[in-house]
Amino acid sequence: MIRENTIRALASVLLTASVLILSITFLLLKKQEFSENENRYLEPLPALTWESVKSGQYMENINSYLCDHFPFRDFFIGLKTRTEITLGRREINQVFIGRDGYLIEKYQKPVNTEQISRTLKTFGEKEELTGKELHLMLVPTAIYTYKNKLPEFAPAADQMETAEKIYQDSGLLSIDCSQDLLAHQQDGQLYYRTDHHWTTYGAYVGYLAFCREKGLVPVSLDELEAETAAEDFCGTIYSKVNDYSQKGDKITIYRNPSDKLTVYYEDTKETTDSLYNLKYARKKDKYSLFLDNLHPLIEITNENAESERELVLIKDSYANSITPFLAHHFKKIYVFDTRYYKWGPSSFIKGHEGITDVLILYNMNTVDTDLGIRGIY
Amino acid sequence: MVFSSIPFLFFFLPLCLLFYYAVSCLPCILHGKHSYVMGQSKDFPGRSGYRIPLQNGILLVFSLIFYAWGEPVYILLMLFASAVDFGNGLLMERFGSSRGKRRIFLMSSVIINLSVLAFFKYADFVLGTINGIFHTEIPLLNIGLPIGISFFTFQTMSYIIDLYRGQVPVEKNYLTYLTYVSMFPQLVAGPIVRFSTVNEELHERQISMEGFQRGLFRFMQGLFKKVLIANQVGALWEEIRILETGQSSVAVCWLGAVAFTLQLYFDFSAYSDMAIGMGWLLGFHFPENFNYPLWSVSVTDFWRRWHISLSTWFKDYVYIPLGGNRRGVKRHLINMMVVWFLTGLWHGAAWNFVLWGLYYGILLILEKYVWGKKLEQLPSFFRHLYTIVIVVTGFVLFVFDDMKLLQDYLLSMVGCRGNALWGTECIWYLKNYGAVLLAALMLAFPFYPWLCKKRDEGGDGRRMLISLAGMLGYLALFGLTTAYLVNDTYNPFLYFRF
Repeated sequence: MIRENTIRALASVLLTASVLILSITFLLLKKQEFSENENRYLEPLPALTWESVKSGQYMENINSYLCDHFPFRDFFIGLKTRTEITLGRREINQVFIGRDGYLIEKYQKPVNTEQISRTLKTFGEKEELTGKELHLMLVPTAIYTYKNKLPEFAPAADQMETAEKIYQDSGLLSIDCSQDLLAHQQDGQLYYRTDHHWTTYGAYVGYLAFCREKGLVPVSLDELEAETAAEDFCGTIYSKVNDYSQKGDKITIYRNPSDKLTVYYEDTKETTDSLYNLKYARKKDKYSLFLDNLHPLIEITNENAESERELVLIKDSYANSITPFLAHHFKKIYVFDTRYYKWGPSSFIKGHEGITDVLILYNMNTVDTDLGIRGIY
Repeated sequence: MVFSSIPFLFFFLPLCLLFYYAVSCLPCILHGKHSYVMGQSKDFPGRSGYRIPLQNGILLVFSLIFYAWGEPVYILLMLFASAVDFGNGLLMERFGSSRGKRRIFLMSSVIINLSVLAFFKYADFVLGTINGIFHTEIPLLNIGLPIGISFFTFQTMSYIIDLYRGQVPVEKNYLTYLTYVSMFPQLVAGPIVRFSTVNEELHERQISMEGFQRGLFRFMQGLFKKVLIANQVGALWEEIRILETGQSSVAVCWLGAVAFTLQLYFDFSAYSDMAIGMGWLLGFHFPENFNYPLWSVSVTDFWRRWHISLSTWFKDYVYIPLGGNRRGVKRHLINMMVVWFLTGLWHGAAWNFVLWGLYYGILLILEKYVWGKKLEQLPSFFRHLYTIVIVVTGFVLFVFDDMKLLQDYLLSMVGCRGNALWGTECIWYLKNYGAVLLAALMLAFPFYPWLCKKRDEGGDGRRMLISLAGMLGYLALFGLTTAYLVNDTYNPFLYFRF
C-alpha cells in the first residue's frame, strides 16, 4: 500500500513539475520572430490597451502568443503528427499520408469551374489573339497521377473530369498531359514527396506532351546537363503535416548547353543569364529557385532558340519548372503571374506584334483557387 | 478562457494555486509552526479567522479575471445578478416576518433572474419565431450570449429558493456570496453547484496533500477527455456532417451520430471532471455530474446519469413544486411535459432543443406508463441497445438547429434518401478515427472502474504494475495533450503555395 501511494505522489509531483518547468521555460526563453517551418511571422506580444481588452482581441492574441512561442513547439507538433500516424490516421491537415513516403495534397471539391471556363472563353475570343496559337494546359496534381500511392479507401475526386469540363466550356485548344504522366510513372519521380509541385522530371513529361500538341521535336534528356540543386527539400506539404521522420526530396535542375539566355525581371529590373536562383537552394522554400520565386513579368530571351517564335506564358508555379525546357523553342518567352501583373496580359499582347503563341498553364488545384486567373484580360 | 488551453493550463491555474496555497500557509508561517500540512487549521484552533477570507479573496480575484477574460463587458451582468439575489436574501431575512412577505423577495429575485436570462438568451429566439409565424420583420437584437449565463442564473436561484424554504442560512457577506457565484471551476459549464452544497466549505474548508493529488488526477482526466477524445471525435463528426445528403451511406450517418454523441458526452463530462478536480485542489467538494450515461438500461436511467445537477435542479425547483406525480395522472403528464419543455429550452434558444426536450418527455412518460415494466424483463443487452439508439437519435435532434438539415439527416439515417446502406468511406473513417473511437467507447462504458476493481482484487505485484502503468500513462498523455494544445495555432501560412 505504501509503495502505491509513493507512485501516486511521485506522479503528481512529476505532473506538477512538468507544468511549472514548461511555463518557466516559456518565460525565460528568447522569443523567435519568424517560423521557417511554417513560413510565417509568429504572434508578437500584444500591447495592452483598453480597446483591445474590451473587444476581447487582447485575450485572443495572448493565446496565440503563448502557443506560438511555447517551448519545444516544433517537437510537440511533431509528436502529435507521429502519434496520429501511428494510430492509423492517414489524413492530416488535408494531406493524405501516402505510400512510399509520399504526402499527397487532397483535392478540394472545385467551386469555380464555371466562372473560370467563362473567363478563359472570353479571353480566347479576344481580337488581339486572332492568328495566334493559344493552348490551355491543365496539369493534374499528385492525387490524380499517383492514385496508386494514396492510402487505401482514401476518397479522391477525379481531377481530369473537371479539367475536361473546362477544356470543353472554354473552347480553348487543350494540351492534356495527364495520360503522359500516368504512362511515365515507372520511369522517374514525377512529384515531390514533400511538396505540392511536380518535379523537373514531371515537368519534362509535361513538356513532351506540349511538344506533341505543338508539333515540336522535344530535346532529349540526354542532351541536357543535369545538376542536383538541393538534397533535402522539405516543401509545403511537409510543413502542413510536420512529420519529422519524413525525408527531404532531391531537386534536379536541367540546363541546355546550346541555349544562350537573358532573363529580365520586369519588376526589379534585374537581368541574369540563368533560369535558376540557387540562393533559394539553401533556404526553406527551395522550389523558389525556379524563376526566382514570384515576379509579375519575366522576359526570357534565347539567342540560340530554334525558331523566331515568341510565347506568352500565363501560369502558376507549376510552369516555373517547365519553362527551362520551353526556352529552347522560343526566341522570347514572356512569363506572366496574373496575380501580380496588373494590366492584363491581353493588352500586353496587343502591344507586341512578335508574339505568336500563348500558353495558359495551371495545375488542377490552383486553377480553382487562384484568383489571379480571373485577371487574365 | 477555456480550461483546455495553454494560457489556462500553464499560467492561470498554476498562478492561482500558487497564491492560494501561499495564503493558506500564511497562518502556519506567521504562527511559527512549520510542521504544517498546507493550511490545516485544526492545528490552529481559532486562527483560521483570516485564512478563509484570504483564500476566498484570491479565488474571487482569479474568478473575476477568468470571467472577464472571456466576457470583459458582461462581467457587470454577473455582478448584477449575484447582487440581486444577495440583496433579496438580506431583505428576506430582515423583513420577511411572514411567509407572504418572504415570498415578495423570492418573487422579486426569481423574476429579475429569469428576465435577465430571457432577455440575453431568448429575445432573438422569440422575435425570430414571431417573425416566422406572422411574417413580420421585427429586427433581431443580436445580443451575444454571455458565457455561462444559464449556469450562474440557476446557481444563484438555488440560493434564494433554498433560503425561502429555510434550507440554507442567509449569507451576510457579499464577497463570500460572489465567490460562490463566480467560482471559476464551475462557472461556465457546470456542474450546477447549489449554494447549500458549498455553503459550509465557503466558510471553512481544508486542503491537504491527499486532496491535491486527487484533484490533480481528476483534472487531468478531464483535460485528456476534452483534448484527446472530445475534440477528435468532434473532428470526425464535422467531416461527416458536411457530406452531401444522399451521398453518405446509412452506416456513415450512424457513425456520424455516434461520433457527435461521444463528442457531446466527453466534452461536457470533461468539463465537469475538470471542475470537480479543481474543486479538490481548492478544498471544495462538488457533486458528480455524470455517471456513465451511455451505459444506461432505460431512458429513465439515462436521465439519472446524464447532467445530474441539471435534472435534479429541475426536479427540486420545478417538478416537485408543480406537484410531481402526486396530483393524478393528468396533472403528472402536464408536469412532465412542462419540465421537459423547459429542460430542452435551457439547452439552447432554438426549436430543435425544445423538440429534443419534448422527445424525452414523451419517452419518459411512455416508460412510466406503457412499456417500462416490459423493458425490465428484457435481457440487459437489449435494454442497453434500446437506450443507446434513443440517445443517439436524440442528439441528432440536438445538433441541427436547421429543421431542413435535421429532416435530411434523420431520413439518411434510415436510408430514405436514396443512399446506400454501406460504403467504403466507412472503412476510411474507421481507419482514421478507429483508435480514438475505441478509446472513447472504452471510457464511455464503465471499463475504468472495472480496471480499478481488477487492480484492487489482484495481488500486490499486479496492483503495483497497474498503478505504475497508470502513472506513466498520465505523464505520456499529458505530453500528448500539450502537443495538441500547442498545435492549436499551428497554421502554416503557405503563401508560396499558389
